[in-house]
Amino acid sequence: MQGAWWAFGITVASIAALAYYAFVVLPARIHRWRCEGLRAFARLIELRTQGRYANAESMAELASAVAQRLGVPLHERRRMELAVYLRDIGMVAIPYPVLNKQTPFTPAERELIARHAEISASITEQIPGLWQVAPIVRLHHVVYSEQSDAPLSAHILSALDDWLRIAESADADTASSVLKQGAGARYHPMVVQAILGEIHQRTLGNLQALTRSAALWL
Amino acid sequence: MVISGVAATGALALAGAPLIREHLLGALVMVALLAIAAELLLIRYPLRPEYNDRGVWLSVSTPIVIAVMLVYGAQFGVWLDALTTLVAGAVMVPSRATHPRWVAINTFQSVLSASGAGIATTAVFNPESGVWSLQSLGALMLGLATYMLINAVLMSITVALAEGVRARWVLAQTVLSLPRDVALMTPISFLAMAALQAYGAVGLLGVLAPYLALRQAFVLARRQQELYHQTIRSLGFLVQRAHPYTGGHLQRVSLWARRVAEKLGLPPDRCELVYEAALLHDLGKTVLDERILNKPARLAPEEWAEIRKHPQLGAEILRDTPFLAPIIPWIAMHHERPDGAGYPFGLKGEQIPVEARVIAVVDAFDAMIGGEAPNQRRPHKRPLTLDEAIAELERGAGTQFDAQVVQVFTKVVQDWRRKREAGANT
Repeated sequence: MQGAWWAFGITVASIAALAYYAFVVLPARIHRWRCEGLRAFARLIELRTQGRYANAESMAELASAVAQRLGVPLHERRRMELAVYLRDIGMVAIPYPVLNKQTPFTPAERELIARHAEISASITEQIPGLWQVAPIVRLHHVVYSEQSDAPLSAHILSALDDWLRIAESADADTASSVLKQGAGARYHPMVVQAILGEIHQRTLGNLQALTRSAALWL
Repeated sequence: MVISGVAATGALALAGAPLIREHLLGALVMVALLAIAAELLLIRYPLRPEYNDRGVWLSVSTPIVIAVMLVYGAQFGVWLDALTTLVAGAVMVPSRATHPRWVAINTFQSVLSASGAGIATTAVFNPESGVWSLQSLGALMLGLATYMLINAVLMSITVALAEGVRARWVLAQTVLSLPRDVALMTPISFLAMAALQAYGAVGLLGVLAPYLALRQAFVLARRQQELYHQTIRSLGFLVQRAHPYTGGHLQRVSLWARRVAEKLGLPPDRCELVYEAALLHDLGKTVLDERILNKPARLAPEEWAEIRKHPQLGAEILRDTPFLAPIIPWIAMHHERPDGAGYPFGLKGEQIPVEARVIAVVDAFDAMIGGEAPNQRRPHKRPLTLDEAIAELERGAGTQFDAQVVQVFTKVVQDWRRKREAGANT
């Protein structure tokens, strides 16, 4: 009978391992694969616009952290991450001279560029298995006061995209103050709070790391 | 199909009808219902992503069938498998998930595989020794392995006949994953066997949860492969959008390139990669200014310099996608020439990977017969005929094109033309 218990134990353990593999390990690996595949799309736009758009890597990571703060469930977070890589792919259809213009845009050009979100979404819809990502892509420049019922992940991308862009062209403090001013109008207030919280925590973390390394060095 | 049909009917007759034993009838119905439900959750196994509505099934009811064999006898298992495949297939037909022909093929295959597994298990398993023994575990694993092995052989033959893929490749892929599949299925099968022994058919309900986990593992493993193809096709779609090729240039180049790679004796998985690299070889052009790409007039030298960046840009786009790493050098080097006059690196002969040389020849050929973008055709020149294009390739063999590749490609084109003419005559 002891043999029977052994066999039973081994069976149960291997089934538990199988379940863990099937429901935790494999989905995570597949998500990583997806991201790696879609990175090529982001890279394409980065090259086409000489780095002005689609800087996906830092954005994906930051967006995921902000979403986690807001309690967005894992599957939604993963979708949002995929949307980060695909959001600017519509730029392939925007004329090259407009994208790479050195002088400020005219209103007509601005309007043309604004169409990229819609084009990105329609390209996303054509990739099998990604139709659920398309709504987030379509609304990744959503304005809170116009469409407050848009998915939270779209609001996150909208605010974060602006924050990153301003932080790059000016500095992080200016970007944060723009977000603060726009909270409730252009940006979702909760999202703004979460982003600022995350940024604050990171600067603190960086400072600590800096002091630590300085202390070690001394 | 006829041969396997006859063989399957023979195997069924040989197994005899288990229904004669009346006390098992209820059990058969119950188990069959569960197995059909399981089968409906099955995973279809089209070898090429283009075919989604047909193909051989990867059945996950196998562990249950083998467990049933050990508990109720081999003939029971064979009938159960035949019945479930047939009924599940029949249910799928109206929803156009599959075609009646494929239901028949799959049913025949499962009967034959189950019979083989039945013979193997009865050879090593003595019912006296009970379920909770090493012997039963061994018999179970042997049964699973036999079933999957026979299924793999039959499947590779069928798929090779139906989709023109080489049987050896399909077989190799299945045999390679056999240890993993047996390892995944054994615990479930063992549990199913124990449950059947202790509680009868109702006991199988207890196996439901692990069974779903197993299924999930298979589905996701399959998805992983699909993702790869999806990424490539979506990128290919972008290339087509960005660059005005005349109909189907990329598809033609990919198909030809794969054929040439096969004829050159490259391993089958490499041939698939060549197909995909050929689909993406002009990916870099999506980055370029479309005013240059679409310019109908002759290009200025600086515009040519722009165009010549596209192989490297293509490689740059794929840089961060590790699973496409093998094709990156081929894309970067598809405009190199054996005499060193190509771009971007000016490599010579053997320095250029053979896959890149294949793509170069096929791409040039399709451009000559009129498949390339309008501005890249030589101005005021009509598209060449097949013979003229081949003559042109032969003229460039050894300098512009790889001589061996040109030789093989010429044969491929001539074979294709012969087949096409034969088709036109009938």
